[in-house]
Amino acid sequence: MPSEPLLEVHDLHYAYLGRFPALAGVSLTVEAGEKLALLGANGCGKSTLLKVLDGLLFPDAGTYRAFGAEITETGLEDEQRNRGFRSRIGFIFQNSDAQVFSPTVREEVAFGPLTMGLDAAEVEARVHDTLAMLNIAPLAERAPYQLSGGEKKRVAIASVLAMNPEVLLFDEPTAALDPRTQGWLIELIVELNAAGKTIVLATHDLDTLPLLADRAVVFGEDHRLAATGPPDELLADHDLLLITNLALRRR
Amino acid sequence: MTATLPPAAPVPTARWLLEPQVGLCACAPSGRRRKGTYVTRTIDAAAGVVRAALFAEDAAAQPGLLQRLDARVKLVTLLGLLVAVSLVQQIPVLVVAYAATLVLAVLSKLPLGAFVRRVWLAIPLFTGIVVLPATLNLITKGHVVVPLGSWFGHRVGMTAPGLTGAARIVLRVATSVSVAVLLTTTTRWTRLLAALRALLVPRMFVLVLGVAYRYLFHLLGSVTDMYEARRARTVGAEDGRSGRAFVAASAGALFGKSHQLAEEVHQAMVARGYVGDARTLSAFRLRALDVAWIAVAVVAAGALVGLDRGL
Amino acid sequence: MHIPDGYLSPATCAGLGAGMVPAWWAAGRRVRRVVTSRSVPLLALGSAFCFVVMMFNVPVPNGTTAHAAGGVLVAILLGPWAAVIAVSTALLIQALFFGDGGVLAYGANCFNLALVMPMVGYGTYRLAAGRSALTSRRRAVAAGVGGYVGINAGALCVAIELGLQPTLFHDAQGAPLYAPFHLSQTIPAVLGAHLLVAGVVELALTVGVLGYLQRANQPVLRLNPAHARLRHRPAAVDAEPEPASGQGARGGAAGPVRPGRGGGTGWRWALIGLAVMVLLTPLGLLAPGTAFGESSPRQLDLAAYHLDAVPHGLQRYAGFWHGALFDGYGFAGARHPTVAYLVSALVGTLVIGGVVLGLSALVGPRQRRRHGDAAGHPDDAADVDLRAAAGRVQDSGHPGGAPDVDLRAAADRVENSAHDAPAEAPDRDAAAAVPA
Repeated sequence: MPSEPLLEVHDLHYAYLGRFPALAGVSLTVEAGEKLALLGANGCGKSTLLKVLDGLLFPDAGTYRAFGAEITETGLEDEQRNRGFRSRIGFIFQNSDAQVFSPTVREEVAFGPLTMGLDAAEVEARVHDTLAMLNIAPLAERAPYQLSGGEKKRVAIASVLAMNPEVLLFDEPTAALDPRTQGWLIELIVELNAAGKTIVLATHDLDTLPLLADRAVVFGEDHRLAATGPPDELLADHDLLLITNLALRRR
Repeated sequence: MTATLPPAAPVPTARWLLEPQVGLCACAPSGRRRKGTYVTRTIDAAAGVVRAALFAEDAAAQPGLLQRLDARVKLVTLLGLLVAVSLVQQIPVLVVAYAATLVLAVLSKLPLGAFVRRVWLAIPLFTGIVVLPATLNLITKGHVVVPLGSWFGHRVGMTAPGLTGAARIVLRVATSVSVAVLLTTTTRWTRLLAALRALLVPRMFVLVLGVAYRYLFHLLGSVTDMYEARRARTVGAEDGRSGRAFVAASAGALFGKSHQLAEEVHQAMVARGYVGDARTLSAFRLRALDVAWIAVAVVAAGALVGLDRGL
Repeated sequence: MHIPDGYLSPATCAGLGAGMVPAWWAAGRRVRRVVTSRSVPLLALGSAFCFVVMMFNVPVPNGTTAHAAGGVLVAILLGPWAAVIAVSTALLIQALFFGDGGVLAYGANCFNLALVMPMVGYGTYRLAAGRSALTSRRRAVAAGVGGYVGINAGALCVAIELGLQPTLFHDAQGAPLYAPFHLSQTIPAVLGAHLLVAGVVELALTVGVLGYLQRANQPVLRLNPAHARLRHRPAAVDAEPEPASGQGARGGAAGPVRPGRGGGTGWRWALIGLAVMVLLTPLGLLAPGTAFGESSPRQLDLAAYHLDAVPHGLQRYAGFWHGALFDGYGFAGARHPTVAYLVSALVGTLVIGGVVLGLSALVGPRQRRRHGDAAGHPDDAADVDLRAAAGRVQDSGHPGGAPDVDLRAAADRVENSAHDAPAEAPDRDAAAAVPA
């Protein structure tokens, strides 16, 4: 299937507790190698969509296809398919504290490769390389509670990169980071994309948008997509940003 | 919920918020301070846990004797020594055992003063106070060696068996706690976890233990924040009722937070392929030092019990 | 209520530790069966919560503070089996990672605090709560009663374990080898302190937390499988979508029906046993008291007076402290030791019997086939309920006034995953919870 996009969702509906809609008919495709930003105000459905893309939530209605196969809850109960899907798509949560759950940094980074079933020597090698690549080798034996926010973010990213996924999902990657770490992370995302990784990120930070994405979709308050296009175009459309609560009304 | 608010309609900020305000009361020291309220005590307790963890972390990084041992070996041998200590009955032998823990502390480059304080302030000192009444002939029968007078016509005094029993339990408790503190402070707790795993404790239990320990500090931070905020906002004395309501609400909020974290952690685990069974890296190597230590520990335990029975 | 190393003989420690092994095994099996992949984070955070709750100081009426234990609270929130693991884990962290002693006595401490306390307390809670709605006042009060009975059952076990030591283990001269006080001293001392102070603290905390969660965060109350099918309000039909219906359908698909024997009689017996035990728990104080021929008000005054003198950081051992003081005033060596021992043995037997019955009762209903009665047998189909409840519950922690508002806010929060400044929000919650 050469023409099929990497990820594709069609007419997704999702409501929390069956009552509070988060997605109300969202359709979207993600092409291999692109940097796609999901733009929207708080509570519009970005994070929910990312969790659907990562196979953590399953839509009430609509379909999700990834890597040429439909992703369903029962489908992922198959160990082989679960392993295949999980190793090809990685998710960096907004809350690094929840993502970094292991006793030490080393064990955190080893967790994914180990559940993938790699042998111990290969896991060791991957952990070593990933820690070196993200400049956190000296933190290997540290406990998460001894890390700063920026360090935790690096560890969270390392724990996902160690699985070498094709697609990386970032939820609010630059939120609550100091400017230096923000700068580092933006560079890293660009580099990873240049190395062939597909990037999907949720953000409401308009300043960094042109750096982080070559395409963006805007969520409206009705939990549907309001617009799609290159970041520059969307940023120039002040009315769009106003109705989607992404910009303040100027005097 | 910004999403549902109408976008424009500027609301004027309340006037009182913009004006500086003098204190609501005359805040000069009134001389009546309630020392150590439940708020302060809880904050202190939380700080104590973190301090203990940091003390252990520092001590485990020292290049001492016990630090160099394999964690599995250390765990098993120290458990064996604990059992030996619990079997010893003679006071001189207990004194020898306690002295041995001090030697081990020195060999492991632990600050001796801090070590002794940590051990004794934890439990043995307290035990001494608790068992003091048990030395009286009212509780432990026997020959009265320290008469204390009479009470309702009965002669009251400390008996020989009472004093022996008291000395025995205090020494035993001190030695046991010393051994436990030696284990705790010379072993990185991640190694201890790995050791438990290697010693056939079910993996699920060890995984729970690891994640629990990791988030323990997170929750302690939340509690400290909540209580600090409470302390900052408590003006004047507080009655017990509102205090209890606050404690209950903060515990309830903490549980909510714990559950929310559990959900997020679950998603983070599932996202990386977790389906209910986790593997871990564990590399253990037995070295000459470990083997030598096992021999020493076995001989020491045997000697303690043998000496005890022989005396 | 923790027993440090050195107080108990190795034989006692080994016996109680061996007794815990099947309990851990059963708890692990049950919890894993209920929620496979969710169990680890849920239990881990439950343990961390339990550890932290044990550090909470609660102001008591006479102006001092005391520690809560929290075992029954965890049992009510997560279910009794999950509580066995969560409390055991918290105790292991205390013993092994913080060197608080109690390494050899770990099994004994688990027996008292992680098995007897949550099981007895939870059984009492279920008995007292009946089929009342999840948000009813009766349920919150029942939780408090469960906390009170549970901690006293645990304390009774502590007293029995300590009190047996000098009788069973002493040297030729009669000098005690381990803990020196006799049953006739440990039971009134330890239990007295718990009936009067620690039990009240436990009651206050458990009622308070349940009441708070009923107002502010009902979804987390449904984590306990037994709660998952209860109604929100006594007569609510409209506001809340009936959770049982949807889950029932899923349950039919995913939950294998386990064949089993009839558990109804076991449950009834357990309730009766627990009721008897509840009634008899105060007797633990009264019965040995009569053996001394001393007026009990005197003991009570002492307790109240000396509580203030408990050194900071040692309140946890309040039981022992009281033991020392009571006995110091010469409630002397059992003048009627036979009576004291008989009563103690009776009470001890009842506790253990209650635990066993409670365990069998809690296992029993699960093994029955499911049938249509929704409210009557909440343990049925627990697997699916917990999974569904846990899946649907999305937050916690930041309550608004009405539950609906909170749910909406919760969904929103999940959406944006915003993490409020913790310093501000929980305090506001707490302020909201203070009755005006």
